Amino acid sequence: MKAYVVRRLLQVLPLLLLISLLTFLLADAAPGGPLAAYAEDPDLAPEDLARLEAQLGLAEPGWQRYGYWLGRIMLGDWGHSLVTHRPVILEIGERLPRTLLLMGVSLVITLAVALPLGILTAVHQYSLPDHLLTLAAFIGQAVPVFWLGLLLITIFSVWLHYPVSPSQGFAWFHLWDCGDCAPLLPGGGMTPIGRGGLLLGARLRHLLLPVGMLTFVSVGTYLRFMRGQMLEVLNSDYMRTARAKGLPEHRVLVPHAVKNALLPVVTVLALDLPGLFGGALFTETIFSWPGMGRLFYRSAQRVDFPVLMGIVLINAALIIFFNLVADVLYAYLDPRVRYS
Amino acid sequence: MMKQSTFHPSMWRVLLLTGLALVAVACQVPPSALDSEPLEPPTQIVYAMYQEPEQLNPFLASQTVAGEVRALVVEGVLGLDPDGLNYPELATRVPTVENGGVSADGLTLKYELREDVLWSDGEPFTCDDLLFTFEAAVDPDSGAVRRTGWDQIESVNCTDDFNITIQFAEFYAPFLGLFYAILPRHATGDPAEMTQWPYNRQPVGTGPFQLVEWVSGDHILLEPNPNYRNYPTQPFVDQIVVRIVPSREVGKALLRSGEIHILRDLTEADTPEFADQENIRLHGRPSSRTERLLLNLADPTLDSTDRPQEHPHPLLGDVRVRQAIELAIDKQFIVDNLLYGATVVATSEIGLGWAACDIAPSDYDPALAKNLLTEAGFSDGDGDGIRECAGCAHAAAGTPLRLKIQTTSGNQLREDTQVLLAEMLAEIGVELYIENVPSSVLFGSWSNGAFRKHGNFDILMYTTTDGIDPHRQMASYFHSSSMPTAANGGVGNNYSRWINPVADSALDVAGSTPETELRIEAYQEVCELIDAELPHIYLYERGDLHAALTSVIGFKVNPWNNETWNAEEWSLN
Repeated sequence: MKAYVVRRLLQVLPLLLLISLLTFLLADAAPGGPLAAYAEDPDLAPEDLARLEAQLGLAEPGWQRYGYWLGRIMLGDWGHSLVTHRPVILEIGERLPRTLLLMGVSLVITLAVALPLGILTAVHQYSLPDHLLTLAAFIGQAVPVFWLGLLLITIFSVWLHYPVSPSQGFAWFHLWDCGDCAPLLPGGGMTPIGRGGLLLGARLRHLLLPVGMLTFVSVGTYLRFMRGQMLEVLNSDYMRTARAKGLPEHRVLVPHAVKNALLPVVTVLALDLPGLFGGALFTETIFSWPGMGRLFYRSAQRVDFPVLMGIVLINAALIIFFNLVADVLYAYLDPRVRYS
Repeated sequence: MMKQSTFHPSMWRVLLLTGLALVAVACQVPPSALDSEPLEPPTQIVYAMYQEPEQLNPFLASQTVAGEVRALVVEGVLGLDPDGLNYPELATRVPTVENGGVSADGLTLKYELREDVLWSDGEPFTCDDLLFTFEAAVDPDSGAVRRTGWDQIESVNCTDDFNITIQFAEFYAPFLGLFYAILPRHATGDPAEMTQWPYNRQPVGTGPFQLVEWVSGDHILLEPNPNYRNYPTQPFVDQIVVRIVPSREVGKALLRSGEIHILRDLTEADTPEFADQENIRLHGRPSSRTERLLLNLADPTLDSTDRPQEHPHPLLGDVRVRQAIELAIDKQFIVDNLLYGATVVATSEIGLGWAACDIAPSDYDPALAKNLLTEAGFSDGDGDGIRECAGCAHAAAGTPLRLKIQTTSGNQLREDTQVLLAEMLAEIGVELYIENVPSSVLFGSWSNGAFRKHGNFDILMYTTTDGIDPHRQMASYFHSSSMPTAANGGVGNNYSRWINPVADSALDVAGSTPETELRIEAYQEVCELIDAELPHIYLYERGDLHAALTSVIGFKVNPWNNETWNAEEWSLN
């Protein structure tokens, strides 16, 4: 096992190198570039563009720029964004906690909802709730998030209000004319702006819609997976043995069935964890959540290659790491799996 | 086989109720229950934009949105009002030849500065800050993006703290626009390190607001500048929040929910849905952005020829073909149907401002267009609906009248316009075929071999914007010396390769005198020549369209300036 982990770790560096090279080549081949925004500016002479190109270090040949980047990253210098001129590490460092918050809360709630429901639907296979939940899971997986997001904003921010001054009484469903009313839930952003203080309650309210949507669209995957694993276990021989021993049903289900069915779920979960850091572009865009997904998108659009490389590298490292964790975890949890 | 278990309905009921309760509790937590909010919340205007400024340094930023935020903090010597006229900001008056601020040859410019101005950090504003702004703009290592005009300045002299004399080496027509944003010497840094200045994200200005907080990707919070010369009378609001809302659809929803007050940059297609909403008002006016067809007058198979008259475009080289194309286009129909009547038909390069050309809208006359084509030697001999050359001037007999039209891909309005154009031109026997490319390809550079620069196209469609001083635009698109060629390294925007000596000399006059009347006459002459020879066919003016809640007072669209130009006058009802 130890040898296996060491061997896998040794593969990481060449793999990261390859990934960074591919990313660089792709970014370099993309049309446009950080200076494309200036192309239509009549006040910008070609010599100005050439001067800027030289100052940003874009004039040198690609292999040389990649070489510089590689040399600096070895020393721990991630470079500066070509667009904002800020350090890459700062750009990413600012966004990472926000993305972790959004994605982390969503994942916890997703698991809290999906796993029990997956077990329930397996135990009560082909019951009405099983059919309904399976249908809901499929809807969640199929519905386009940008549509769902706009729908949620329309319902919870545009249609539904609560009165700001309590004297007005309770006001549901005021379309336009609600006097002193505020949207029931904020349609975007992380926190109210310019009010000062910690605003814990307000922050929670801001989380509700994006987390709700992320949960709704991702619950289905885990629910279906958990249900499938559970069904497999329920039909296995040792379950029959457990029942034959005369164990009560709850002692059969929890220690025998659920524990075994959870094994593959753990590995799938480990593979999903890097997604916590990558963010969710559509959700972040719809709910104005300033996370990693949007940073990546902006960098790709402007071919801001230091930022792009930074994000890809971090994500690649995380994916490799969690893959390894999943493999090791699997061997640890399932005595039948052995790496030699 | 597992037995079909009996399902306990109570389990599901518990589950359902728990879920509902969770949602209900979450929704019902009033924001004040957990927070200690101030009793009197600040008056706040939330101004939403789709893009985040990359930074706010006026000499580094490329985006319009950066200017929108910067203008809340940073002032220039002069500003531009919605009619395109200068008004004094940090100067006491607008210099003219009459008041002695501008010399007769236009080479010397004098500003008298206000003496009552402090920077937001309390330091006094003086002539030295203008001098520094100049030094920073021309420093070769500064990374300053635009140096045009600044490089024409020979010297800048502060006669005293509040009087400055700027000496130009050559006449530079838009000279009044140069000092549009003043940098403080004491709160910036070494010009050679401009890209790393903390100022770029924390600008110090003389304007009505100061930047309090910038959360990347989310918002920028601004509060009144206590050292602003009109404080505390102005600004009227306690806070301006610039909110980054990354999608237009979401922005529209948040405007409806009242979470934002002003949503900048809508399209004409957004106008109908706001038409009947009582609490939202559309603010719009035609802008200086003109959508046009740019016709190639030179042989498109040649690489950037400098002799287009000897190598004309086989089809477009004949002016009658170009006239027929314009006559076949029902511009008003496009404006009414694709732009919802929210803007106007374009007639010339300069549609707005002090130099606006007076050109009548083109006629829609397909019958006349057909006659012109027949006269030019194009007729439909084989009956396929498309005319072929039969005795035309520049093409081989039998060449079909088939032209490629190209614009930026992924732009719905442009694509719809193309479809209409193709239908309209099919009426007169001209076939348009569409071959769109990403904007980075269309607007590519000479060195990357972009086909626009190298002249390998028939018809392009895009928008260009003239500044308040139209000279750069006019000279770079219509002066014969502005044809990009190998000899000049691909400089200039005369992609039509239009050569007209009369227009050249009129442009030369307009670019060498500060006399407004002479310049207006010269531009009018060039506009008329363009209208006659049609290197460009103007389709429509894009609108500057924004929406605001009706509770916002004082928001005034300004096509020449940032929409925040008068933010000190904004208030909430």
